[in-house]
Amino acid sequence: MDNLLINAEYKEEIKLTDETLNYCKKFKTIALYSSIQFSSNLDKILSQLKEANINVITSQPERTNSQSQILGCDLSYKNLKLTQKPDAFLYIGDGIFHPRALVLSQKDEENFKEVIRFDPITNQHYILNLKDVDKILKTYKGALIKFLHSDSIGVIITLKPGQQQFNPSKQLKEKYPNKKFYFFIDNNIDFSKAEDFPFIQCWVNTACPRIGFDDAPNLPIPIINLTEALNIE
Amino acid sequence: MNYNLEIEKIIERIKEKNHKTILLQLADGLKPEAKNIVDTIEKETNTTVLIWFGSCFGACDTPFGLTQLGVDLTVQFGHNVFIKNPKGW
Repeated sequence: MDNLLINAEYKEEIKLTDETLNYCKKFKTIALYSSIQFSSNLDKILSQLKEANINVITSQPERTNSQSQILGCDLSYKNLKLTQKPDAFLYIGDGIFHPRALVLSQKDEENFKEVIRFDPITNQHYILNLKDVDKILKTYKGALIKFLHSDSIGVIITLKPGQQQFNPSKQLKEKYPNKKFYFFIDNNIDFSKAEDFPFIQCWVNTACPRIGFDDAPNLPIPIINLTEALNIE
Repeated sequence: MNYNLEIEKIIERIKEKNHKTILLQLADGLKPEAKNIVDTIEKETNTTVLIWFGSCFGACDTPFGLTQLGVDLTVQFGHNVFIKNPKGW
């Protein structure tokens, strides 16, 4: 079957407001990212930052196909593939999902760098900090502890080709020979169905890792992501 | 519409490959554009255009089982190529 991906690139020129540019001047080095709608339209912003004597760095994160593009699933700092540490991040886009990935990617970093989200549609900027994901991270730490103390674990695997991680999930049985893993399959992962399986004490999400972070605080069951389950020391 | 939906590019691909059944999958913010896209493609080509009703979280989220409907082209709007790591997230 043939496939086409349409980036739906934003057609208008985008530039920082004076207020946002002045705020950016607090920082010597800024890492610039955006959603795909804006990543080929950053020339004006780059020249604004350069004229303000701000060192701009960026990268092509692990799962992207474009420089400066950020995805919601690049959740570890090493996935960003930055070769230099910035003093702050500047995200260009009109949503919260992608810039929140930049916050979560720093969850294990010693020195958190704030994320400035500039919305080119409303021309407003907002600051994202670790406190914005405080509830997510507390829930997540609690779920990690629950996982370690559980004997009966549900592993949920999606059929979506891009998110399906059946083979990596098999490593759980090797790493935790004293736990019993039950493997569940679905297309759209809806953890509200988890209560139908009361013998499961903790769940491992192998689909989009944002399920284990963003969705978990709103669910009555403990969920951790496969990556963390495999990497607990 | 301030976003480039590249409908001409899609029509060109359909004509070039002689596609007959097309599936459109749109990111949530673009779903209201489905009518305009379907109407334009069907007017310019001899095709049946279907619209994916479900989620479209990213290029990682593509429908499967479409061959049973004879779909020969899927077009996803709003996402770039996703590079999957087979070893996991």
